[in-house]
Amino acid sequence: MTNPTTPSAAQQAPAGAGHHHGPRMRWAKLAPEVYKAMIALDAAAKKGLDGTLIELVNIRASQLNRCAFCLHMHTADARKAGETEERIALLAAWEEAAGFYTDRERAALALTEAITVLTEGFVPDAVYEQAAAVFEEAELAQLIAQITTINAWNRFGVTTRLVPGQV
Amino acid sequence: MSHRMKYWSRVPAFFQAQLKLTQAAKKGLGDDVLAELVVLRASQLNRCAFCIDMHVTNLREAGVEQRRIDLLPAWEEAGDLYSERERAALAFTEAVTVLTEGFVPDAVYERAAAQFDETELAHLLAVIVAINNWNRVNVTVRQPPGAEL
Repeated sequence: MTNPTTPSAAQQAPAGAGHHHGPRMRWAKLAPEVYKAMIALDAAAKKGLDGTLIELVNIRASQLNRCAFCLHMHTADARKAGETEERIALLAAWEEAAGFYTDRERAALALTEAITVLTEGFVPDAVYEQAAAVFEEAELAQLIAQITTINAWNRFGVTTRLVPGQV
Repeated sequence: MSHRMKYWSRVPAFFQAQLKLTQAAKKGLGDDVLAELVVLRASQLNRCAFCIDMHVTNLREAGVEQRRIDLLPAWEEAGDLYSERERAALAFTEAVTVLTEGFVPDAVYERAAAQFDETELAHLLAVIVAINNWNRVNVTVRQPPGAEL
């Protein structure tokens, strides 16, 4: 089994060769109108949100949903935007690394977890109110949209087993 | 369980994109009754009261037999009330919706792939993703059943 360490090595390998873990189908090519709508959804969700916060939310949801393709993309995007290695590495344990994240980031991460793992608690009052205390309503609405959108990408990525680094 | 935020009018561009996503997904699947069954089942799993109310109504209006609506939470035990195509789609819906339990196992994926061609399957997945979006937002903001979006 090959284990490409760089995107370029991955791209040189024939599709699926030596890697039984997908991709199962090329959904974006099979459903171009759906893909277009997803791009529009993504752009609409991001509006007015801080880029650093967006990537933290994207990485955390992708960790919970175990979307390898999405983690590869969003950790790279976060680094490009100047995010520190420390904050990326500690994100899976952000509650125990409180000093590394602001109050707003922690409220957003708690909301991300509640909305992502929806069926465990259905977004409890404490989580919602903590977010509502640090985000004004318009921003909170965008944040909910962003969390929903990364969950949508995660579902496509995991279900079709998109390969990290391959488009 | 009070309404937390009048959500959709606050995010008009997101709302429009979500409508387009839903329409493109359903159009590509090309089977409205199947889409409604799938969407109702996801809404049951995610416990979205607003969504359940809407899609039960849609199924009734489409003339779907009441028993097929009522037994949907127990579709696996409901004998021949649902076709193999519907059952494959429902199993796929459950796996994609409760994603973190199993991450869409091969058996579930292959069962669906045996009933739907690739293009249909891509759009079925899109229908499931789109309803999960509606469910996530409407549960989060506690959209009341029957309320205007």
